[in-house]
Amino acid sequence: MAFPRKNETVKLVSAEGFEFIIDRKAAVISNTLRNMLSSAGNFSETELGVVNFPEISTPILEKVCQYFYWFLQCSNGKKTDFHIEPEMTLELMMAANYLHT
Amino acid sequence: MNPAKKKNFKIEPFKHKVEMDPKYAEKTWKILEDAIHEIYNHNASGLSFEELYRNAYNMVLHKYGEKLYSGVVQTMTQHLREIAKIIEGAQGGLFLEELDVKWREHNKSLQMIRDILMYMDRTFVNNFNKTPVHELGLNLWRDHIVRSPQIRDRLLNTLLDLVRRERTGEVINRGLMRNITKMLVELGTNVYQEDFERPFLDAASDFYRLESQQLIETSDCPDYLRKAEKRLNEEIERVAHYLDSKSEPKITQVVEREVIGNRMRLLVEMENSGLISMLIDDKYDDLGRMYNLFRRISTGLQTMRELMTAHLRETGRQLVMDPERLKDPVEFVQRLLDEKDKYDRIIQQSFHNDKMFQNALNSSFEYFINLNIRSPEFISLFVDDKLRKGLKGASEEDVELVLDKVMMLFRYLQEKDVFEKYYKQHLAKRLLSGRTVSDDAERSLIVKLKTECGYQFTSKLEGMFTDMKTSRDTMQGFNATGAGAEGNEGPTLTVQVLTTGSWPTQSGARCNMPTEILAMCDKFKMYYLSTHTGRRLTWQTNMGTADLKATFGDGNKHELNVSTYQMCILCLFNQADRLSYREIEQATDIPAPDLKRSLQSLACVKGKNVLRKEPMSKDISEDDTFVFNDKFSSKFYKVKISTVVAQKESEPEKQETRQKVEEDRKPQIEAAIVRIMKSRRLLDHNNIISEVTKQLQARFMPNPAVIKKRIESLIEREFLERDRMDRKLYRYLA
Repeated sequence: MAFPRKNETVKLVSAEGFEFIIDRKAAVISNTLRNMLSSAGNFSETELGVVNFPEISTPILEKVCQYFYWFLQCSNGKKTDFHIEPEMTLELMMAANYLHT
Repeated sequence: MNPAKKKNFKIEPFKHKVEMDPKYAEKTWKILEDAIHEIYNHNASGLSFEELYRNAYNMVLHKYGEKLYSGVVQTMTQHLREIAKIIEGAQGGLFLEELDVKWREHNKSLQMIRDILMYMDRTFVNNFNKTPVHELGLNLWRDHIVRSPQIRDRLLNTLLDLVRRERTGEVINRGLMRNITKMLVELGTNVYQEDFERPFLDAASDFYRLESQQLIETSDCPDYLRKAEKRLNEEIERVAHYLDSKSEPKITQVVEREVIGNRMRLLVEMENSGLISMLIDDKYDDLGRMYNLFRRISTGLQTMRELMTAHLRETGRQLVMDPERLKDPVEFVQRLLDEKDKYDRIIQQSFHNDKMFQNALNSSFEYFINLNIRSPEFISLFVDDKLRKGLKGASEEDVELVLDKVMMLFRYLQEKDVFEKYYKQHLAKRLLSGRTVSDDAERSLIVKLKTECGYQFTSKLEGMFTDMKTSRDTMQGFNATGAGAEGNEGPTLTVQVLTTGSWPTQSGARCNMPTEILAMCDKFKMYYLSTHTGRRLTWQTNMGTADLKATFGDGNKHELNVSTYQMCILCLFNQADRLSYREIEQATDIPAPDLKRSLQSLACVKGKNVLRKEPMSKDISEDDTFVFNDKFSSKFYKVKISTVVAQKESEPEKQETRQKVEEDRKPQIEAAIVRIMKSRRLLDHNNIISEVTKQLQARFMPNPAVIKKRIESLIEREFLERDRMDRKLYRYLA
């Protein structure tokens, strides 16, 4: 099942319509995203490389993207801190659950 | 994702709008249900994965997982029922293809559905012990399609039919077969095994049973084997191409059982083409094929071995007991060697040097060689013939080869001491008449015998060689003293001094030698005794030879090579031209049988009759008269007239030798008994017999009755005693 690989980046769109463009490499840290993007079906996400999250707000989504990159850094050896504001903890966890990260 | 460090903060209420009432659930489900429909109808493009995933996620999160799950099951089942109808409707050959296509589509759809429902799979399924989506999909497929009543049998029959057609030579679509069997495997090994493999094996079993029945009636053994091999390879190939590899051992087993296993007996025993005729005709290829095929069956090789052993023993027995063959011992042994070579080659080329077959061969040979009690004698005669003239001019390797073969036959003998006796006799004759082809060959054989049987066996033989050498040295010394030749007219003497223990004992022969000879003999005796004191010399006149220069009528001069006896006889004719048997007997004092034999060679052999006999009959009688044959002529200057050739023994001689052997065995048995009892102290009758047999079997097989007698003799001589309590127990007396 050949599907067109969008050139190394994907676009994540938040509830408010903000678009975050990140590397595919970073995105697939989330299992959900990985499945979505490489599913053997003709879903629009696979085709276009764009994923909409109508239920994830922008700050949360932003934090998620930051997380992806922090994760990549860690796997390369750099041990930095990942700071999370306590207020967004709950929502962040919901998103994490949703994204299977 | 690691939550941040715990801080005291207030958890703010959800910012999400969470409306989760049944109606919402219903709506969400509807969305998903539609999506599934679309997927099954190949309209999935345009759908948003995220939306569906989110919906499924929400349902599960808000505890509507059960509804979701059962809904999925229902929808899929519905679709599969439709698909089933389509497949059932397919005509004839398209049936399998439809099935294959639909299966692939189903897999794809299933994968998509699983991806969407990943959250449910992860959480709901695990928590409630439901079957995960993928497996669910396979199970539903299995239940509604593969095992649906209409499809199931049709599928099986189609597959089996295709296999059957391929067996009869048709070409079928292997790729399609492969996909279908793969599908069955993916549905679960028990599906594959029950729905397909077992009936497949049964059908194969029936097919091959029938086929082998037909074949065995029409083809001969090699042909049948060839076909069997072909079928076997076919089936293996079939499995490799479109069946699950686990089926390979099972199907090969079926083929082996039906085609070979059940027909084994028939095959090997087939008239004119079975195992026996293959062995006789040296059919290496066919034998190799049979070996390879039979190796697969547990009792296959055993059957072959048994038959081969039986056949070998029978042929061997006939060979050995055939009176015709027994007339020429050299031929006899050569035939044995040829048989051995033949079977060695068969085992090497066709049976991969299988040790068990080698053992069967050895045991058969051992069996029938010992059936004929004259075997040891014959083998010794064979060796004698080879060392006398057979190996003349042969290279060293050839000599070694022949000797090794002889050794091999020797190993089969059970009565090795009989062989030793004959070999000693023959060797003595060879050495004394100077007739051996190669000294090195003789020594080489002695070394081999020593390796095989130990020093004891060959010590006397080596003694004989030493004597010959010593004699040569002695002669040199004797001649050096100038007492050897008395000018040209006198006789020249060559003496071999033999140590009595080493050489085969002969009864002391007497004979009156002509005076000239006597004088020489005395001179030598004096010389010898002067150098070696304390020894006694006795002339062995029955073993010597002489070269005589004779002048016949017309000035014919010939040199005659004769035995000592014959020399004595002929010298008498220096004084008289005509002598009667009795006169000769009186004058020479030679024992009667030897005299008759000597006279026979002198007078009755055509072309070598130095004497003429009256009357001209073949046999010597006591009334005959002998006349010097003036008219003797021969092509050669040197004429050999000798009776000292090693021959097959006559009956009385045979008896005599056998008796001597028996006598020799007695002390050996006794020595063995004493040895055993000394170490064991107390032993019962049966154990003694078995121990003694074990110790002595390298030389000969002792007879239990003889052992018993020896024990009794030892008891009489107070080496052993019987236990007072138990009559069967013996004790060693120090």
